Amino acid sequence: MNYPTIFSVTEDEIDLNELLAQITLTSTGAAAIFTGMVRGETLRRGSAQASRGEAHETEYLEYEAYIPMAEAKMKQVADEIRAKWNGIEGIAIVQRIGKLYPKTPTVLIACTAAHRDTGVFEAARYGIDRLKEIVPIWKKEVNPNGEEWVEGDYIPKAGE
Amino acid sequence: MNRIKLLFFATLRDRAGTKSLELEVPENMTVQGLKGKLAQEYPNLSESMKSVLITINREYAFDEAVIPPGAEMAMFPPVSGG
Repeated sequence: MNYPTIFSVTEDEIDLNELLAQITLTSTGAAAIFTGMVRGETLRRGSAQASRGEAHETEYLEYEAYIPMAEAKMKQVADEIRAKWNGIEGIAIVQRIGKLYPKTPTVLIACTAAHRDTGVFEAARYGIDRLKEIVPIWKKEVNPNGEEWVEGDYIPKAGE
Repeated sequence: MNRIKLLFFATLRDRAGTKSLELEVPENMTVQGLKGKLAQEYPNLSESMKSVLITINREYAFDEAVIPPGAEMAMFPPVSGG
């Protein structure tokens, strides 16, 4: 059985309904969807700022990607998901790039399966965690005081 | 000598001041060798060479890897997508 796998880096708006339709089969009865969006205000717990009730403000995030490698690594993440949870049917992994403003969805990971007890929730969680480790995408935060690249902390190992 | 293409992303592109370079490198040069060469020729990059991620033909590569002829390489910081 050839299950649908969608992976893309795009400048276009992420269309959840369209993507979900593409990974829904006649045998599908459950989907777990993770989407992340740009946070306009960040309260940093435990910081002096937060205790005064002030939030760190973000005007927008500017995303870029090494597109051909990013799409290949998204495919690898999908393959890893299928190897871990054999009940997964369709998988969609989409990252939007460019200038993205608060409240805008930036990323979507969706997995479908026959039932909810197939590992479908964990599969979507694994997908976003792995995307943040190995898929070559970066974001620069622009805030009222200037701009700053956000850097991850994961160092890929050989074979990743 | 081997001809390679080297792409820069994010902080590495800012510091290099360019998106990509075409380079001639000795046959059998390793990733570590290339890092040393860049640190010397591009002083702005020398600090970044310590924590940079490197790819060869769109796969992560490590210090001992030998750079094949015609390689498409890239250098960038740890990723921050999502």
